[in-house]
Amino acid sequence: MCGRLPLATPERIAVSAAGVVTPIGQDLDTFWSALLTGADGISQIERFPVADLRVGQGGEIKKLTRAVDWRRVPDCRATRLLVSAADDLCVQAGSRPLDVEPDRLAVVVGTALGGVEEGERALGGSPRRLARALYDAPGHGLARWLGARGPVVTVSTACASGATALGMGAEMLRRGEADAVVAGGYDILCRFVMRGFDGLRSLTRDRVRPFDRRRSGLLLGEGAALVLLRREREAGPRRLGTLLGYGSASDAAHIAAPDSQGRGIERAMRAALAEARLDGADVDFVSAHGTATPLNDPIEAVALRRVLGVRGATVPVNSIKGAFGHAMGAAAALEAILCLLAGRHGQIPATLGLEERDSACDVDCVQGVPRALRPRISLSTSLGFGGCNAALVIESA
Amino acid sequence: MRAPGIRAIGLLSGWGRGTAAIPVDASEAAGGRPVLTVERPALDPERFRRSRRECLMGVAAVGAMLEDAGQGPEAIAGERTALLFATAAAYAPSNREFIEARGGSMYFPYTAVAAVPAEVAIAFGLTGPYEILVGGAPATMRAIARAAALLETGACDRALVLAVEVFEECADLFERLRSPFDRPLVEGAACLWLEPGDGTLTLERRRGWKDGQEDKGSVGSRVGEMLACEPLATLALARDSAGLEGTQVHGSWRGETARLEWSRAPYQTRPRAA
Repeated sequence: MCGRLPLATPERIAVSAAGVVTPIGQDLDTFWSALLTGADGISQIERFPVADLRVGQGGEIKKLTRAVDWRRVPDCRATRLLVSAADDLCVQAGSRPLDVEPDRLAVVVGTALGGVEEGERALGGSPRRLARALYDAPGHGLARWLGARGPVVTVSTACASGATALGMGAEMLRRGEADAVVAGGYDILCRFVMRGFDGLRSLTRDRVRPFDRRRSGLLLGEGAALVLLRREREAGPRRLGTLLGYGSASDAAHIAAPDSQGRGIERAMRAALAEARLDGADVDFVSAHGTATPLNDPIEAVALRRVLGVRGATVPVNSIKGAFGHAMGAAAALEAILCLLAGRHGQIPATLGLEERDSACDVDCVQGVPRALRPRISLSTSLGFGGCNAALVIESA
Repeated sequence: MRAPGIRAIGLLSGWGRGTAAIPVDASEAAGGRPVLTVERPALDPERFRRSRRECLMGVAAVGAMLEDAGQGPEAIAGERTALLFATAAAYAPSNREFIEARGGSMYFPYTAVAAVPAEVAIAFGLTGPYEILVGGAPATMRAIARAAALLETGACDRALVLAVEVFEECADLFERLRSPFDRPLVEGAACLWLEPGDGTLTLERRRGWKDGQEDKGSVGSRVGEMLACEPLATLALARDSAGLEGTQVHGSWRGETARLEWSRAPYQTRPRAA
């Protein structure tokens, strides 16, 4: 097992507020309603050419609708998604600028792609965009918009990046490096990533069907999701929940495929539960990675069963990838927020696209309609290219 | 936080292998060359047939670290070893090739920042905690602090902090961004082997300093611009002259300057002869 028990109980980290921008909603309430009603965020991609690709669909945000002064934000889609989510977060937190001393406000964001589209545009004849092509550029753009003058950190554990960011943000607070951290993840749909996944034949021509017998691949989506983290003793009464644990682990198996036994994600889950001083029997709900690829879902299900133990067959599981595709660096943060909202509202959204259960994915995936349940302890799992695995343990308020 | 001890350091750079190759003055030694390149390491050509140069540099840096420790790969394999990777731009060549359609789809996974540490993890069987930071020198210093936290909480028994930077394939692009880099760009790959140590480790940072200002602890004028590799090169150089006193590392990126300080000498071993 990875992760012996910590020497001391780690300080509890509150999630005070959250903000999102997704293809199914550009604020927290709309996002949650769309998940409950089964809104479908998949559409034909319109923002860049896809005619030469096998698959031209994805979870594309057609227009950013928040009333932000975009003249103050760089013309970089990744930065603008982050700012949209941050604007929602500020509304949810009840103040903009956030009520934190700027020097004590940190930003930690995760991404799989950073500003790569700016690299495409720079190499395509707009060299002034070059500086924005570095993967940490959007995070710094967000910090400027927030007025944050504390540490600005970008992590890139592929599609587990959002979880890594939350874990690292929590540690920054425990170490006293900041008094508040805006943490989360983002990624955009762009030609670079569509070409890549299309070439790997990872994209489905069907719909995304997590844990379904007929699943045939993923679709990509875009979005950003941010949470405001504070030390619990300083967080005040306004909160969505608590980040109890975070764990990560490497597969050391393959550059692109997950470990065939799911050992990496199992180690990450166990490490997160160990940090939370909990075990699998305490988990009420799992927000799974659930990409709907033939490979991922059964591996993840088997690992979940090992970690959850005897309750593994009855703990409800959900994947949001069917609703708007795989939002890559944003996915884990969106799924963490889903856990918090499920606890607040007492409902677990159904997994869109799941119609025929696969016996190889032997978990209780919520299907058809939302399930009335108010999870107290949720587990969120993430896997990514490069053998990146991360897990979060979240307690609802 | 409790400071980690440094058990071993592996360093490859555009100057050569180890600290002995590093000149007294980078600009003078570069002789006008804007980029000092590390040649593709000659590792098993069959096993690493698809691997990119930057990935092999990472693997070679860990190999150099093991050599420095006098240990074999079995000493670090397994889930009790954490791997923390930092880079500002090691993904740039793979991204560029893919954008310019010079790389086929099977190389797409190598465009991920995670490609370098993934190759290292696979090569050495590293299955413990795993994190990747993007940025210049402060990102590496944060990775060291993060490693210290993982060691302190018992999440791992040892932590490797790896940094890799490559510039050759994008030298023309970096030239356009030249203003932040007043020294030659020096490619590098370096790995630090950390274990629980004595004393305290402090990470401080300030915003608003210009690069180079109040950066008296930097050895950048000696090593050149190594971005995320620079703190590890600094620690390797400091070990050569280390006594019982503490050690400081400085580094700047995007207007932020970070300082990492060990209250006591972190070195558990003396360097082995190259």
